Amino acid sequence: MAFAAAFFLSGIALSRGEHINSIWLVLAAACTYALGYRFYARFIAARVMALNDKRATPAERLRNGHDFEPTNKWILFGHHFAAIAGPGPLVGPVLAAQFGYLPGTLWIVIGAVLGGAVQDFVILFASMRRDGKSLGEMAREEIGKVGGFAALFTVLLIMVILLAVVGLVVVNALRGSAWGTFTIAATMPVALLMGLYLRYWRPGKVLEGSALGFALVMASIYAGQSVAASASLAPWFTWSAMSLALAIIAYGFLASALPVWMLLAPRDYLSTFVKLGVVLMLGAGVLFVHPDLQLPALTRFVDGTGPVFAGKVFPFCFITIACGAISGFHALISSGTTPKMIAKESNALPIGYGSMLLESFVAIMAMVAACVMQPGVYFAVNSPAGVVGATPASAVATIASWGYPVSVAQMSALAHSVGEQTLFYRTGGAPSLALGMAHIFAQTGGGQALIAFWYHFAIMFEALFILTIVDAGTRVGRFMLQDLLRHFSKPLGRTSWMPGVLLTTAAVVGGWGYFLIQGVRDPLGGINSLWPLFGIANQLLAAIALCVGTTILLKMHGLKYVWITCAPLAWLVTVTFTAAWQKIFSPIPAIGFLAQVDKLQASTAAATAATQTLIFNARLDAALCGILLLMVATILLDSLRVWYGILRGTHAARIAEAPFVISRLRAEEL
Amino acid sequence: MSRLRNFGRFVLALLREIGDENAYQRHLAAHGREHSGAEWRRFSEERMRAKYARAKCC
Repeated sequence: MAFAAAFFLSGIALSRGEHINSIWLVLAAACTYALGYRFYARFIAARVMALNDKRATPAERLRNGHDFEPTNKWILFGHHFAAIAGPGPLVGPVLAAQFGYLPGTLWIVIGAVLGGAVQDFVILFASMRRDGKSLGEMAREEIGKVGGFAALFTVLLIMVILLAVVGLVVVNALRGSAWGTFTIAATMPVALLMGLYLRYWRPGKVLEGSALGFALVMASIYAGQSVAASASLAPWFTWSAMSLALAIIAYGFLASALPVWMLLAPRDYLSTFVKLGVVLMLGAGVLFVHPDLQLPALTRFVDGTGPVFAGKVFPFCFITIACGAISGFHALISSGTTPKMIAKESNALPIGYGSMLLESFVAIMAMVAACVMQPGVYFAVNSPAGVVGATPASAVATIASWGYPVSVAQMSALAHSVGEQTLFYRTGGAPSLALGMAHIFAQTGGGQALIAFWYHFAIMFEALFILTIVDAGTRVGRFMLQDLLRHFSKPLGRTSWMPGVLLTTAAVVGGWGYFLIQGVRDPLGGINSLWPLFGIANQLLAAIALCVGTTILLKMHGLKYVWITCAPLAWLVTVTFTAAWQKIFSPIPAIGFLAQVDKLQASTAAATAATQTLIFNARLDAALCGILLLMVATILLDSLRVWYGILRGTHAARIAEAPFVISRLRAEEL
Repeated sequence: MSRLRNFGRFVLALLREIGDENAYQRHLAAHGREHSGAEWRRFSEERMRAKYARAKCC
């Protein structure tokens, strides 16, 4: 297996001058995962954690039929995977493909095996041994109040940036697309219908209701083609980016203020089922079609001049791909529902470590889907007008001058084949991922005749679960804000007080809505500034999780095994610091926010209101980045203080685990 | 064939878990209650309140 992994990895790393087949990536990843799981993860499970099936888990000891319930290993694996898999592992690799397939692929595989999966596994283990405590609670207990507050504050900050950036991905996917907009608009009444079906007509029949919802959504994709072709209907669904952004903001407010059963819950059920189905389909499609990769191993943009987002391969490739390699958000899931449902301690290995490997594999599939496109097409779709030129002719001329030939006729034919008016300037990753997926699905079944259907199916899939994140995230953000505000005003902290609910919902929607509008107005396409901010924030959360993990390992074994979490932590801190520093202080305006301010102030239009807004936004982004940098430094210094104290013996090395209780769970109960 | 049947059973169980149907059955068993529309609404409201108070992954 080790030889196979080395063979396939060197195959993708050393191949130059000819197209490589995607199966090399798939096998290199699969072999490395197998090695990592069999040796590294088992070593951590046996030597470091000493997982013990005789020890009763919180699911057994605190069993209540709700949160705490011993659950079958593979069912919980699927449940956990569905919870950690979001748009991140799909969109990140597509954006990072501007460097070529090699840097992103290596980071996805190595980062997951040595970093992401370790983080998820360690946090799951720690939470399982502490009665299912959350990351914030563990940070407070193990490091101190500063760590706990930092975790809460960072999550709130990430939520705001995350919702803005995923909102922007949807806006760019649906802009000017009557077919796509109609399909997504149709999911609203479908979700409402499902909500009524599940609440009043067939209570509790979630699978039945979801099957009905899925059939209706598929019908709406089919009908979308006729809507787009209709001269009278198409204008109703052909929206500008700004109109779509405002609609998403209004939707976010409504959906998070409405009762959950009406819109959010049915949409969430439907999107989770569709997500799992599409991930399986994509995996099977890549294996079946195993297309050649058209993008090279490395592009010229490793030097930092990329059109999709600016910045060198280090550190920006590692910031762009967070979920798929290592994602701090996973630590929230690993210390949320999952630890309360683990039946046996040894199940933490496949669930914590294994699920992350599967997520990493999804990221590899997304990388393949992005790289099956011709490089010229990839850059024409993903480059903003501000970089390549405002007309298709100037865009193709710019892209061809980089050495990636593409023509206006080729792009028109491609847009026509998928039922779109144009595919230029569709930044954000979703449309190019949809193109790649449609290409793979069409070769699996239906041929070119169905490519337009598959493209819009992929767009529907991406938008459906992104919008679920928007409404669920707004609601969660509101709860967090209320939790913070209750220290200042008791009524504002009450979730049953309607004025407080509306006010805090408006504040959260206003927060991410502001950044969304900023992204829409950004001449560089928005993704250039928002996605790195999101990546930095997400990696910061991973740094907090790894600090917690290191503290626990230090208390358990002294210095012996701290390298397991310290190595990915050191890498993340290096990456996050470098990226944040460059985003603030780089003298290149496309990268540094302050250089952008200088450039705008020196321009002839500096006095106009629009430029003043851009200047304010760049300063705001710089400040946000600075806050994130400060948070990393604070948490790290606080952790170092605790670690030093533990090693010197001046800080209590008490392990806050729940007491050992022997398991009485019978095998037939699992 | 039996492997296929087992796999089908697993997929269905997974879908039921994700769709909260298993949790609902456990809830009925734990509290010794019968299924009804009102019971489902009570259960799902409580479950969703907890579910959507937690961050959703990106």
